[in-house]
Amino acid sequence: MSTDSNDSTAIDTHSRGPLLLLLGSGVLWLVISGVLALIASIQLHTPTFFADCAWLTFGRTQALRETAFVYGWLANAGLALGLWIAVRLGGEAMRAGNWVVVGALFWNLGVSLSLVGIAAGDASGHPYFQIPVYAQPLLLVAYGAIAVAGVLAWAGRRHETGFASQWYVFAALFLFPWLFSVAQVTLVWLPVRGVLQAVVAGWFAQGIYSLWLAPLALACAYYLLPKISGRVLPAYSFAVFGFWTLIVMGCWTGGRHLIGGPVPAWIASVAIAACSLMVFHYLVVFLNFRSAIGAKSTALYFTSFGLLAYLLAGLVEAVISLRGVALHAQFTFVEQAVQQLSLYGAVSMVFFGALYFAVPRLVGKNWASSSLVGGHASLVTVGVVLLVVALTAAGFAQSHAMFGATQPAKFADVASATRPWLLVATAAQVALLLGNLMLLVNFAQTVAALVPFRAAANSVSRPALKSVLS
Amino acid sequence: MKNGPLFFLGLFASLTFSFAGVVLFSNYQLGGLTPYYDDSEGKSFPERLPGVAARGQMVYRDLGCVACHTQQVRRPSFGNDQAQGWGERQSVARDYIHQSYPQLGAARIGQDLTNLAGRKPSALDAEDLMKLLYLGQGAMPAYSFLFQDVKVSGQVPKTALKLTGKSAPLPGHAVVPTERAQVLVAYLLSLNTAYDYPESRPVVKTAAKAEGAHK
Repeated sequence: MSTDSNDSTAIDTHSRGPLLLLLGSGVLWLVISGVLALIASIQLHTPTFFADCAWLTFGRTQALRETAFVYGWLANAGLALGLWIAVRLGGEAMRAGNWVVVGALFWNLGVSLSLVGIAAGDASGHPYFQIPVYAQPLLLVAYGAIAVAGVLAWAGRRHETGFASQWYVFAALFLFPWLFSVAQVTLVWLPVRGVLQAVVAGWFAQGIYSLWLAPLALACAYYLLPKISGRVLPAYSFAVFGFWTLIVMGCWTGGRHLIGGPVPAWIASVAIAACSLMVFHYLVVFLNFRSAIGAKSTALYFTSFGLLAYLLAGLVEAVISLRGVALHAQFTFVEQAVQQLSLYGAVSMVFFGALYFAVPRLVGKNWASSSLVGGHASLVTVGVVLLVVALTAAGFAQSHAMFGATQPAKFADVASATRPWLLVATAAQVALLLGNLMLLVNFAQTVAALVPFRAAANSVSRPALKSVLS
Repeated sequence: MKNGPLFFLGLFASLTFSFAGVVLFSNYQLGGLTPYYDDSEGKSFPERLPGVAARGQMVYRDLGCVACHTQQVRRPSFGNDQAQGWGERQSVARDYIHQSYPQLGAARIGQDLTNLAGRKPSALDAEDLMKLLYLGQGAMPAYSFLFQDVKVSGQVPKTALKLTGKSAPLPGHAVVPTERAQVLVAYLLSLNTAYDYPESRPVVKTAAKAEGAHK
């Protein structure tokens, strides 16, 4: 598994301070969310685990795990990788790096505050939006500070022609504040009434995945694959259609969670139609990346795993959104399996790939330990596959027990039917946590090589701040 | 995609389009939903939650009960919610208009609670619910932190749980619910959507056929 750093450029070394800060905090959150996910997973089959602790009821650990994962790991890593691609493709050194540093510090402060708040019972209760009221404005402002570098990279780009990875990066950077602020207004400051909250929350949660996380992952993939393989992507001219299908249709699919719910039926119908239309987007992604699947470098391995998971998740979504299937899959662990397949299998794996490619270039040195890289790759692969399979099987068992012969179903039977699979899911969480600890150690050791040069890095960033302020 | 401003305008328009379609249009459709006044009963439905139950909903929300329990019944012809005894009719948007934080939920690790207080043949009463919360049952954890073990000399407090066997408190002690447990139970006892709105009546088969033919 090679991670050569021959093409580390001045642009990389110049932007390494802010970007490594974001990446490092992301990896740290990844490990923290792994611990929380492990607790939540154990609670599912052993309800007495931490039952005496009001801070860690299952509802709260679920919200904690999700928030640490999405806003801690995926946001930090995604922003770092997105900015890195934007700056590299722009062909100019990163500007406003200090803004990124300040933004990153406040963002992570906001995420920490959110976790404490959720544990204390202040979660907003909406999926992907559990952040307590008081932490939301802080996150939005911090995001704005980080995104300044993105805006300047766009404004100062040397080449007018956009690459697919650029569209995806800038779409993600631009659409997140739009989504996040609208969700704040409609769910928190001036909340809509009754079930409309569920409609807005569904729209927002889908937007976070389809318009923010998935575009950031695709930007990494569109950047890395041609770069590493040295070949032009096949059917590249179709990429633009894939892009706009995702951007236009993405949010409309959110209503599929409300099939059969107390909302107008058109919300679900539109979502089902949108899920089918999205197959076109997945088809384009497949056409573009079909030759890269199965390549041998670490970065490519993770990226192609992630892309396969992305395609699979899209197809599964299209299938389980059909009413007949949704009837059985709804409210079961299958939903969680699809969520893990999307967030862990697709987005995180692509981010891992990009991280393995970017960090040696930012640091200017190879990864400290190649065996830790290999260990991380195998543990995470096993973990993700096992987790998704176990949750799917648990979902089937749950659905089977609920629709089984005895009506009304006994929830004790449901619990005993799902228990073996939930134990497997816990084992998968252990594998993921161990793997990600390896990543954290390796990351820390690799970056530690930079410490003597810290003074030099400071002197570079000072003029940058001046140029921004003047 | 060489035109920067046009690109961002496109992005903006795409998201606005879905926002207008999904959020604004459903708000237009449902935002003005009013309670339904029933002449024969002389009052309107849904009724507002009593204050204590509304406070209980906040406890329900902050403990994250929604992670395992839904509060939405699917229509009798879609799924087997009716056979589970969770409700005779589907939940409709009007059921939730008085709730500041509707807890629809997305997972049924436990049962649906929409009509918990209206279960047939017999619903759980306050004492059963207190015991359930204190002891847990099956996959449901015990929420013992909602209760206090107090020393008693003389008369046992009225609210004390009547526990026997292994779970019984030490002699001279009693387990009493905290205020949070009491409001939570009051909320759980208020969960019942028995009233039949015009829009919640199941569509009769012949009507569905006629509608299908019309399309």
